[in-house]
Amino acid sequence: MLTKIRSTANIGLTTIPIDVEVDVATAGFPGFTIVGLASKAVEEARERVKTAIINSGFDFPPKKITVNLAPADIPKDGAAYDLPIAVGILIASEQLPDEIVFDLKKQFFYGELSLDGTLRPTRGVLLLALFAKNITGSQLFVPEASANEASVINIPVYPIPTLHRLIQHFVKTKPIDTLSYLPIKDALDSEPPEFDLSEIAGQEQAKRAIIIAASGGHNMLMFGPPGTGKTMLARALPGILPPLTEQEALEVTRIYSISGLLPPGASLVTKRPFRAPHHGVSTVGLIGGGSNPMPGEVSLAHLGVLFLDEMPEFPRSALESLRQPMEDGTVEIVRVAGHVRYPASFTLLSAINPCPCGYLGHPKRTCTCSERQIARYRHRISGPILDRIDLHVSVSVIAVDKLSQSLKNNPNAITSCQAKKMVMDAREVQTKRFANTKIYTNSQMKNKDVKRFCILTPESENILKLASETYNFSARSYIRMIKVARTIADLDHKKDILPIHVAEALQYKQMV
Amino acid sequence: MHALLDLKDVPQLADLPNPPGQLFFIGKPHKQLFQNCVSIVGSRQITEYGKRVIELLVPKLVFEKKVIISGFMRGVDQYAHRACVENGGKTIAVLGWGIDTILSPEDKKLADDIVSHGGILLSEWQTQRSTLWTFPVRNRIVAALAQEVYIIEAGLKSGSLITANWAIKLKRKLFAVPGSVTSRVSEGTNMLIANGLAKMWCGIQQPTQKSSDDPILHALEQEPLTINQLSRNLNKPIAELGASLSLLLLSGQLVERDGVYYKK
Repeated sequence: MLTKIRSTANIGLTTIPIDVEVDVATAGFPGFTIVGLASKAVEEARERVKTAIINSGFDFPPKKITVNLAPADIPKDGAAYDLPIAVGILIASEQLPDEIVFDLKKQFFYGELSLDGTLRPTRGVLLLALFAKNITGSQLFVPEASANEASVINIPVYPIPTLHRLIQHFVKTKPIDTLSYLPIKDALDSEPPEFDLSEIAGQEQAKRAIIIAASGGHNMLMFGPPGTGKTMLARALPGILPPLTEQEALEVTRIYSISGLLPPGASLVTKRPFRAPHHGVSTVGLIGGGSNPMPGEVSLAHLGVLFLDEMPEFPRSALESLRQPMEDGTVEIVRVAGHVRYPASFTLLSAINPCPCGYLGHPKRTCTCSERQIARYRHRISGPILDRIDLHVSVSVIAVDKLSQSLKNNPNAITSCQAKKMVMDAREVQTKRFANTKIYTNSQMKNKDVKRFCILTPESENILKLASETYNFSARSYIRMIKVARTIADLDHKKDILPIHVAEALQYKQMV
Repeated sequence: MHALLDLKDVPQLADLPNPPGQLFFIGKPHKQLFQNCVSIVGSRQITEYGKRVIELLVPKLVFEKKVIISGFMRGVDQYAHRACVENGGKTIAVLGWGIDTILSPEDKKLADDIVSHGGILLSEWQTQRSTLWTFPVRNRIVAALAQEVYIIEAGLKSGSLITANWAIKLKRKLFAVPGSVTSRVSEGTNMLIANGLAKMWCGIQQPTQKSSDDPILHALEQEPLTINQLSRNLNKPIAELGASLSLLLLSGQLVERDGVYYKK
């Protein structure tokens, strides 16, 4: 007998319906074949399915079994076809009572089987749910551990613990309840930030720079010796970014779902991502890739923060590959199997030491690097990358005794909560200004937008011209200064860019 | 390239017993250029101390709209020209050789910068090669053109002392910068001061002693600080402080190195 079960394949973030056709033939030698561009993981489904069926108390028919994954020309990867194949075999070998009614067109089966018949967490469930939402009357049968991912989509989702329980559900001896729908709004609770700005001692300027970066979506570079709080500052950034909107949360969760990075039982990524890859990361690890292209760190940091500590230690090729995503907000990966586009719109936060040993200019310790080593170290970050970083800030060493002294009425004391409020206000100003354009933040303005949206008073212009003479600004740095000044003016709720805004922006000019 | 200068523009040269018969120049001179001049000269071996002195002195002179004259030699002279150009001032280089002499690439770059900032190169010769006698002869013009002459660093046998002698003869104001008594290149300047031939230049503290009312400058007068330390000391919001510091930097009242601000 022949049967058809519905499932899906994910190519990048695109979901394609797959028909799992299972035929259990009465004629021919016993055997089990899977066709339809199946990868190794899919091929191995034979052993898992066979054992799982037997261990769930059913018979594995000693007949000729053929499984076709249609359409046949799309490569299929992953273990999610275990469940549809197993269900297909049980139906096709006529082991289930006749009274069970399947609606195989509308029912999607998806999940990896373990040898004892339990269902293991499987990645990509959210993508399946998003796809199924467009088909009226669809039902999902997915592993219990991953089912929560689908709970934010308003369709019937059956969390399946084991193959045996699934069959019990169908014969109605022990029905499984559908997951209750969890609107995204409710999932997005505002959790306290991991690091609060008020916990960071000193570094008033760097904190201010973080707020500017968050407000305008500017990339930022911190420059200073080890142990001055660069990493702490970086970790505080996600906490002051505006909370994810419903749409954004879905976008981020999709990427985490396909990467299998959602912990079992989790439903939605509710916090802005913070990714801090180690400097040993390869180009593929950073921007994504593999024969079945998977998202890299830039995509995992989508709508969040990508923190590169010790930036010059990263392989040059990996750093250069950041140029396209930094420019376009997406990354396109081309492989033999086809090309895949992942979103990668992140705020880059990088930290560099002043020299390889880290102690150049340190008040107490001596630097042991030679001039050449220092020059080589700084040259590792290319001009085009530095050009895309709007804020450069020096993070200085603070004496311990100064740290403990607390100020009364410190005008620079700020909590992440207050900072977040400032950031959200500034973002609102930007949203209004950039209505009817494709821009969201000041950092995304192109030259013509800068001309249109950034009005400098004559005095501001004079200061900027004078500064560009004094510090030899390139045309790009000049524009960059205007963008930063625009964000500072937005934080100050001013329509025009005033001299104080330009003057403050000059504090964040490129240093190396 | 070069052109002849109208000697009527430089009446002060008439003070010389042997004024030059003609002066060639490169650049665009105007009458005012020669009206308010200060000469800065010194040894060819410049020390870090000498550089700091020039970095201190030149911006102040440029701010007072003075034109800086020097001899275009390596060391103090060129450092003074360079500092003047970098501060957006006008400077006159009196060459110890003919105006048409081809310069080395580094010298050429400095010469171009001088001219592009409204300064000039000056020489009394057209094709004369530089030899032992041309430099002392040139020095009389350096002294005569200026109202004040500063000797930054000079050894006992330095050519700068010839300029100093001319300044004394021509009754120009002569300043010498005191230096360490163990330093060879300060022997000449210290000698000028010790013998009462030159006034001692002790930096610019005295005129600006009236202590600034700006709390930032006031704080930095005590000790150099980073912006974070300043904000703690003055209890000021960082945004406002950053803006003020940028403006003070641009107006040349502060210098910043590796994040630390110094009062000039």
